[in-house]
Amino acid sequence: MTTEPPQPGPPAEGPGTGRGLFDKQQLDRCISCGFCLPACPTYSLTGDEASSPRGRITLMRALETGELPADDPTLAEESSYCLGCRACETVCPAGVEYGQLLEQWRDHQWSGPKRPWIVRLLTALVARPFLLRLQGLVRRHARPSGGGPADGPSLMLGCVERGLYPAVSRAALRLRPELNVPPGQGCCGALHAHNGDSATGKALAEELGRRLPGTLVTTAGGCAAHLAHHLGPDRVREFGDHLHREGHVPAGRVTVDGRPARVGLQDSCHLRNGLGVTRPPRELIAAVAEYVEVPGAGDCCGAAGTYAMLRPADSRAVLDPKLAALAEADLDFVVAVNPGCLRQLRQGLRRTGARARAVHLAELLALAEEDRT
Amino acid sequence: MTAHTERAAGRATPPSERTDTAAEGRTGELADALAALVGREHVRVEPGQLAAYARDATPLFHAPPDVVVFPGSTAEVAAVLRLATERGVPVVPRGAGSNLCAGTVALHGGVMLVLTRLNRVLEISPGELLARVQTGVTTAQLADAAGDAGLLYAPDPGSRTVSTVGGNVATCAGGLRGLKYGVTRNYVLGLEAVLPTGEIVRTGGRLWKDVAGYDLTRLLTGSEGTLAVITEVTVALLPKPADTGTGVAYFDSLADASRAVAAVIAAGVVPATLEFLDRKCIEAVEAFAGLGLRTDAGALLLFGDDGDPSVVAGNLSRIQEVCTAAGALEVTLAENVARADALLAARRCGLPALSRLGSLTILEDATVPRHRLAEMVGRIDEIAERHGLLIATFGHAGDGNLHPTCVVDPDDTGAVERAHQAFGEIFAAALALDGTITGEHGVGAAKLPYLADRLGDDQMALLRRIKHAFDPAGILNPGKLGS
Ligand SMILES: Cc1cc2nc3c(=O)[nH]c(=O)nc-3n(C[C@H](O)[C@H](O)[C@H](O)COP(=O)(O)OP(=O)(O)OC[C@H]3O[C@@H](n4cnc5c(N)ncnc54)[C@H](O)[C@@H]3O)c2cc1C
Ligand code: SF4
Ligand code: SF4
Repeated sequence: MTTEPPQPGPPAEGPGTGRGLFDKQQLDRCISCGFCLPACPTYSLTGDEASSPRGRITLMRALETGELPADDPTLAEESSYCLGCRACETVCPAGVEYGQLLEQWRDHQWSGPKRPWIVRLLTALVARPFLLRLQGLVRRHARPSGGGPADGPSLMLGCVERGLYPAVSRAALRLRPELNVPPGQGCCGALHAHNGDSATGKALAEELGRRLPGTLVTTAGGCAAHLAHHLGPDRVREFGDHLHREGHVPAGRVTVDGRPARVGLQDSCHLRNGLGVTRPPRELIAAVAEYVEVPGAGDCCGAAGTYAMLRPADSRAVLDPKLAALAEADLDFVVAVNPGCLRQLRQGLRRTGARARAVHLAELLALAEEDRT
Repeated sequence: MTAHTERAAGRATPPSERTDTAAEGRTGELADALAALVGREHVRVEPGQLAAYARDATPLFHAPPDVVVFPGSTAEVAAVLRLATERGVPVVPRGAGSNLCAGTVALHGGVMLVLTRLNRVLEISPGELLARVQTGVTTAQLADAAGDAGLLYAPDPGSRTVSTVGGNVATCAGGLRGLKYGVTRNYVLGLEAVLPTGEIVRTGGRLWKDVAGYDLTRLLTGSEGTLAVITEVTVALLPKPADTGTGVAYFDSLADASRAVAAVIAAGVVPATLEFLDRKCIEAVEAFAGLGLRTDAGALLLFGDDGDPSVVAGNLSRIQEVCTAAGALEVTLAENVARADALLAARRCGLPALSRLGSLTILEDATVPRHRLAEMVGRIDEIAERHGLLIATFGHAGDGNLHPTCVVDPDDTGAVERAHQAFGEIFAAALALDGTITGEHGVGAAKLPYLADRLGDDQMALLRRIKHAFDPAGILNPGKLGS
């Protein structure tokens, strides 16, 4: 126990103490006011400062100054326990870009042998173009085509979505046939950036930016935010946002038993918190069905990229209150705007035997479009 | 070196030295004893877990505790304190850690006693106009619970979404409605608190009028976790005002705005809210909230009132007239409640928004009599200029409570040192104008070096005697009040 009175000493963050792991300006910008605490899903589960945004930034500082050794178990645990949902960013008056800090933290925390094997496997797979092509042969996603002018908007196929939910890109193309679907699309690198390899994440984003001319339209909120960060917000658009800006509203309606379907939305964290896109998907749904605002629609569903695979129990703990809110809302459909969220919701709804079906926004709108005929 | 710089140098916290294994052994033993009292899952000892509790919202101070404990009941709080007194181990009570005076930094190590698990609203009694809550309930939760019952919890600190009621009582928090409604102290009817010796005391009760005995409720209110640990709070509520309204007046300079404040009060209007921001604060807040504030003005006054619709409308238009007569560039009223709420929310985040301007943001808190506000603003400007520092100022103009905030580069040790010196001079200026060194943020470790300047040696000695009566072993929040 230390009981001596404190002695005058140099300021805690004196010059030359940093290890250069973090963007120091970002770290310094946080004044530990705690405004972000109520927004954080992991803090609301534990009530422990270490699993709050403010506490995590304090941990990053301790890592940066060397007060905590690099192999400290709490550093490892908290960098992985964080969902990366960036809800903390939207409420931070100081403008701390927590998402960037988390990427830098994971670059350090998950480097080399410390990387979880699932992450290694996934990032290795999606970085192999021929594997992505193979997926297209097995599962029928939208075929590469030149729908519109060469410099017109291109539809990005998404490395995960291509394999898991090929119907999404087909639906997107049905709604907007003029979108180009360039061949040889790789991966945007969001997966890498969020999982401890932001250098590859950046390189892949830039590479994709070169391969896909014009505006990149993506059906994945996570990819949209990552690409926008590296290519600039002007070049990137999430699909719903794109339709909205083009003023395209599907003509038909989605009905169930002759009445308009009751449809709720699950925001994609990165779309909402990273790009601030919240209205377009809601308005599009309202145009084709009865839109129901589910309480907590903006809170993370726990999918959080690879999180649901790496930390299934924690992921469920985040999802459970949402499933309860969805059950309460008595929906026919719940719409996701990101493949990870779609997968998370489908699994959760199945597990609880809920009536509602989870669909991607493009799929729901395509249903309405079909209704026209 | 002036007296103030010597003191300022003492403000920085030394890097902690906790490598000696004997100390670690003792800590392990202490943790085991605490785990037996509150359950293993409510005790933290890993260095990383402790590091997360090394800070509050005060820059330049940090030191990790040796153990973090989350008691779940008053009885557990009592058991922890009894153990600590027996062993002579320091204990730092902590709510949300949003204080700005290093009140929750464990400068002497020991136990961090986190009270956030005590988070239940126990009772709202519309008939008696009161609420009883556990200490860890946030200010916003209390305000919402009161609001749901058609009542108002008047204290409204900027940190309300995070700060706990216990922390508000322990610091006697002020807020945006302070002018008309006063501060936390004016609403605390009764407390349940645990003395460092483990005795549980109940002070006050449920009555507005009760003068039996020394007013221990008031003594504990503002005691900053140095006399007892508050576990339950009974607060007075008010009927919810029928209407509220808010407006903004822009001025060329903060001095002009300060003169307008005096004019408003002289006109016999006491609005609920009278807050000001200088140009730098306006810019920073605008960058966060995007409210369309005029960033070309030198200062703005945010005013608001509540009550009967006709009274509110009358008061707001009177303020509008007075401000215009006092030379306001423009005065506008918020057209609806949403807009008014947005303006108030933006004002609440003045401090964090300022940190957009640079990397190290040091906020201070000084109060002067209202009619000397303009004079004080002038002195702050002069001091900032002389030291070549960027000092932005905002605050509760109606109360004479200013928050001069200095934004510096933390790597520029010269600038950090100059900032400390400047703040020493600002406190001295406040005292010279019959003001005080803190209006609401408290003394903590940050202001302790300046406290004797305000109180004098006799009061300091009395403070220590009171401290000893409550805490004979001196374990509760050492290095703060009463030390
Ligand atoms: C952006 C921002 C805006 C703010 N605005 C205001 C404002 O408008 N007005 C204002 O007055 N303050 C304001 N503050 C300061 C701060 O929020 C208040 O002092 C608040 O009351 C602290 O509450 P807390 O729960 O965070 O307490 P903590 O910071 O955890 O603790 C504060 C002090 O109280 C003691 N303490 C806490 N809980 C207990 C308990 N249960 N029993 C005994 N002692 C206890 C601690 O030991 C410490 O000394 C602001 C802070 C920030 C960051
Ligand atoms: S809200 Fe922003 S400045 Fe405040 S503690 Fe959180 S990250 Fe830091
Ligand atoms: S990203 Fe999400 S989980 Fe992580 S600290 Fe921020 S709010 Fe919490």
